[in-house]
Amino acid sequence: MESAEKLQELKQKLKEINAGYAKISQLTTEEKAKFGQEQNRKKQEILFQIEQLEKAELDKEVEPIDVTAFSGVNEPLPELYSAEMGSRHPLMTELDRVIEIYQMMGFDAMESRQLDDEFHMFDSLNFAKEHPARDGYDTFRTEEGLIPPAHTSTMQHRVLKKYKSKLDEGKAIAVVVPGRVFRNEDVDATHEHTFYQCEGVYVSETCTMGDMLGILREFFEKYYEQKLNIRTQPGYFPFTEPSLEFMIEKPKSLGGKKGDFLEMLGCGMIHPNVLKMAGIDPTKYHGFAWGGGIDRLVMLRYGLNDVRNFESGNLNFLREF
Amino acid sequence: MKISLNWLKQYVDIKIPDDELVRLIGARLVEVEGVIDETHKYDNIFVVKVERAEKIPETHLTLCQINNGGEMFEVVCGAPNVREGMLAVWIAPGAIVPASVHQDAPFVIGKRKMLGKYESNGMLAGADELDFDDKHEKIAEIDPAMAKPGDLLADVFDLNDLILEIENKSLTHRPDTFGIIGFAREVAGIMGQKFEEPEFLTHEEVFPEGFLVKNGNGVQSKDSNLKIEIADSNLCSRYTAAYLKVVDADEKSKYLSKMQILLAKSGMMTVSRIVDVTNYLMLLTGQPLHAFDYDKFVALAGGEAKIIVRSAKQGEKLVLLDGKEIECIDSDILITANNVPVALAGAMGGKNTEIDGNTKSILLESASFSLYDLRKTQMAHGIFSEAITRFTKGVPAGGTFNILAEAVKEISAKTVSLSDEFVGYRSADCVKITVDEINGLLGTKYDKDLIVKTLENVSFYVEQNGEMLKVVAPYWRTDIHIKEDVIEEVGRLLGYDNIVPTLPLHGTAEKNSMFELKHTIRDLMAKYGANEVLTYSFVSEKLLNKAQQNAKNSYRIVNSISPELQYVRQSIVPSLLEKTYLNEKLPVERFAIFEMNKIYRKEWGLNSENVPVEKNSVGFVVAERKNNETAFYKAKLYAAKLLDELNIKAEFLPLKKNEAEAQPFEPKRMIGVYANDIYLGVVGEFKNSVRNEFKLAPYLAGFELDLDEVLQLVSYKKEIFFGKKHVEDLTITSDKSYAEALKEVQAKYPNAKILPSVIYQAEGQKSKNITFHIEHNQ
Repeated sequence: MESAEKLQELKQKLKEINAGYAKISQLTTEEKAKFGQEQNRKKQEILFQIEQLEKAELDKEVEPIDVTAFSGVNEPLPELYSAEMGSRHPLMTELDRVIEIYQMMGFDAMESRQLDDEFHMFDSLNFAKEHPARDGYDTFRTEEGLIPPAHTSTMQHRVLKKYKSKLDEGKAIAVVVPGRVFRNEDVDATHEHTFYQCEGVYVSETCTMGDMLGILREFFEKYYEQKLNIRTQPGYFPFTEPSLEFMIEKPKSLGGKKGDFLEMLGCGMIHPNVLKMAGIDPTKYHGFAWGGGIDRLVMLRYGLNDVRNFESGNLNFLREF
Repeated sequence: MKISLNWLKQYVDIKIPDDELVRLIGARLVEVEGVIDETHKYDNIFVVKVERAEKIPETHLTLCQINNGGEMFEVVCGAPNVREGMLAVWIAPGAIVPASVHQDAPFVIGKRKMLGKYESNGMLAGADELDFDDKHEKIAEIDPAMAKPGDLLADVFDLNDLILEIENKSLTHRPDTFGIIGFAREVAGIMGQKFEEPEFLTHEEVFPEGFLVKNGNGVQSKDSNLKIEIADSNLCSRYTAAYLKVVDADEKSKYLSKMQILLAKSGMMTVSRIVDVTNYLMLLTGQPLHAFDYDKFVALAGGEAKIIVRSAKQGEKLVLLDGKEIECIDSDILITANNVPVALAGAMGGKNTEIDGNTKSILLESASFSLYDLRKTQMAHGIFSEAITRFTKGVPAGGTFNILAEAVKEISAKTVSLSDEFVGYRSADCVKITVDEINGLLGTKYDKDLIVKTLENVSFYVEQNGEMLKVVAPYWRTDIHIKEDVIEEVGRLLGYDNIVPTLPLHGTAEKNSMFELKHTIRDLMAKYGANEVLTYSFVSEKLLNKAQQNAKNSYRIVNSISPELQYVRQSIVPSLLEKTYLNEKLPVERFAIFEMNKIYRKEWGLNSENVPVEKNSVGFVVAERKNNETAFYKAKLYAAKLLDELNIKAEFLPLKKNEAEAQPFEPKRMIGVYANDIYLGVVGEFKNSVRNEFKLAPYLAGFELDLDEVLQLVSYKKEIFFGKKHVEDLTITSDKSYAEALKEVQAKYPNAKILPSVIYQAEGQKSKNITFHIEHNQ
């Protein structure tokens, strides 16, 4: 049957169904509900078929072209746009810079996953089962119980397992893990449900908390290209002990005033249980780890004040970079 | 949490300036979110004596002559309790009403004429105007034993204060700091001082000798009539209760009290004498207490004082103190009077045992419950009281008795019976650690004496055996189990800011090839005038439908923020089409956008780690608002150019398999991208039906490439040719496809580089003139 005829037929059916609703007045209340549901179901089916058919009709109009060619018939060869129109996403440019700085400091890099499980997100990080701290991360979950990670720490266990052979060679595990993370929270100028973090993991026989503070200060001084004052504050994370919040004094060049300290990341000495879970002997080795947001880092550097711009796809914003 | 600095100073001697103290607390204990300055909140507010009070006829007002330490003033007062001889609080003209201090327009008291003839100077204040209460009933009365006329109210009650606003979140593992005493202990510790423990925390001297006898790990009064039954020690590790005969309120209870003021400063309001004491002790020690009406309790229990602590049955009902009826979930813990629910443990008492004006006896509870179960209770019933905030941090079982005993003293009641069921007793862990282990992890050089003193300052028990320390935490520190816990205490109390930052020496790094690839593509595409975008990893069912992808192939988020973010995306291009619409609307005349990100599909299953297979993908869309040419060739140019630059010999061949990323593309105007027979992706224009759904202009095409496959093939080697090139154009007339014509040319010039030029077809002709650009290296 020609599709035009088929369409005609479906439209006729739809008319009949619509007319059928008139019967409803003759039915009892009980029958009415059942009849109504049945009518609606039929109507939806027909509407769907009509839509499919109309779409197919629309697609049919397209003329085939020679897809093996590189230009249309009687058309000029296509050209690339000019480089002036192009732009890199500021978050990605800066993430590249972050990785580059850590790589100069001898850190390997691997990217974080965007869909993970309870084991990597919590169990392997010494979160007790049903511990309230699990609620603090506002995690999303899929039907299967999978988790779009709320922090890049979800990669710690993998990093430790993947690189532990380095310890046997007498070297240190030194890895950074940038990646996209997700939190179930409302979006405003300073909060996004989707953002980027960078995790750092360091394990050796001799490393100290002093080394952690030294590496972090070095990173931030390289990133902002100036000397910085740092400060710490006690924190709590189940996967580090001791745990700290790391702050830098907002640089004058970026509009900071004296004593204006900004929380940049959470950090601490890796909890022995986390090392143990990954098969590393915590009586022989210890380590430290940290994780912090990239979006804030970049906003501060460029003086941006609305985090929502990053995932907006708005070219008026993006072409500035 | 709000901490009054003046209250804190009652427990610890602070010799450093306030701003230095705030900095130290931030660096060594917890984030101070803010400091509320109340040092001038009570300026020009005095204790005065009402010398004369005369009712003004036909009004509810009283004309008062007040004595402010020798000087007399006239004030009109409307409160029913004003009377001659009382000490009241006078807000002098020009002073600000304390309750309005933090409002946008603070209320300044003045002088005014009332009823045309009386001059009223300032006002006699109620506890509400002084910001100590929320009830507007009467004026505040001052105990003559505490003050004399003319005294500044601030001096009498120590009101010139700073209130610290503490970020609770970083203390989730420290229930002991949710009380003034615990907080003061830490403050002493971080200043390097020995904390003097209040007697009542470690002694049991409230009761007369011989009143108590041992009961397992707990105690009880001899022949106590209180029976406590705990169904499961996992629900409740200790339950201490006392049956008290309440002594009638004395003359003093009408006066403004220090306790009432401390409650107000901590953000709580006065309720009744007994409830105030329980709240005061909770703020002081972190241990919530609850008072039941004893007689109501016993009546419900069928005549005996039998307390049963048990899990709730799903659906069991209880009316709470706030009048709301809750339906229990099975993880709720109930306090029952012989099985009749009387309280939702840790959260709120029941209406059926509420204390009231007729209460003669109370049953006072001091207990420790499972923080995990209470956490669920909190979430299920949306109760965020001061009590449950503390219980969900894990109130230590060790203190219930001592704190109950202190409450009995404060209530000044007669204890009839006391029982203490301690079923979840655990002895504290003894942590053995050496000085080297501490310094080795921190990177410090602290000596043994300093370490021992630091721990002893906050009441840890430390036994020294050469370089080995045996450390036992006090009962309120249930978070100390392993060496690292002790190291944290030492590092924190002595200040992480005293640790010298150092840089370790270690090996060189390996580059990450995927980052390198993405970085290269980013640079190339930007050079080609394309704009990199980032879009969400989650998409709507509607978007999947618009792109004609099957939602069943996407992982679905069950607690998504909105339907817009419900599914994990299967490819990048549909998100780009959405952003294309936005940019065409702006309007941007012409643009090419791309994104590199991760994608997931259910059909790919799980990897060896048992998590979903993940792929890196690059999506690209080119769009122009006005252009009649064929967009397909533009997208194909970008794909070809990019792969060429990455030294991948790409072939454009018909798609061998229908993939999810190909769904939005038009089969008549799409082609697969292959290299060495490996499928890399697809280039094409979009179906009219797709373009229609996204409401986009006709000039529209794109591609999606699998970056994991690209990574396998990429090479950054450059072949550089220094010789001469001979270039010529060749046109052949053919009615075949470009690919077939190309084959003919390739056969003729097997060593030349052949590039496409124009295709011309005269009107009415079947065959086309296909021109090639031929480069020979000489």
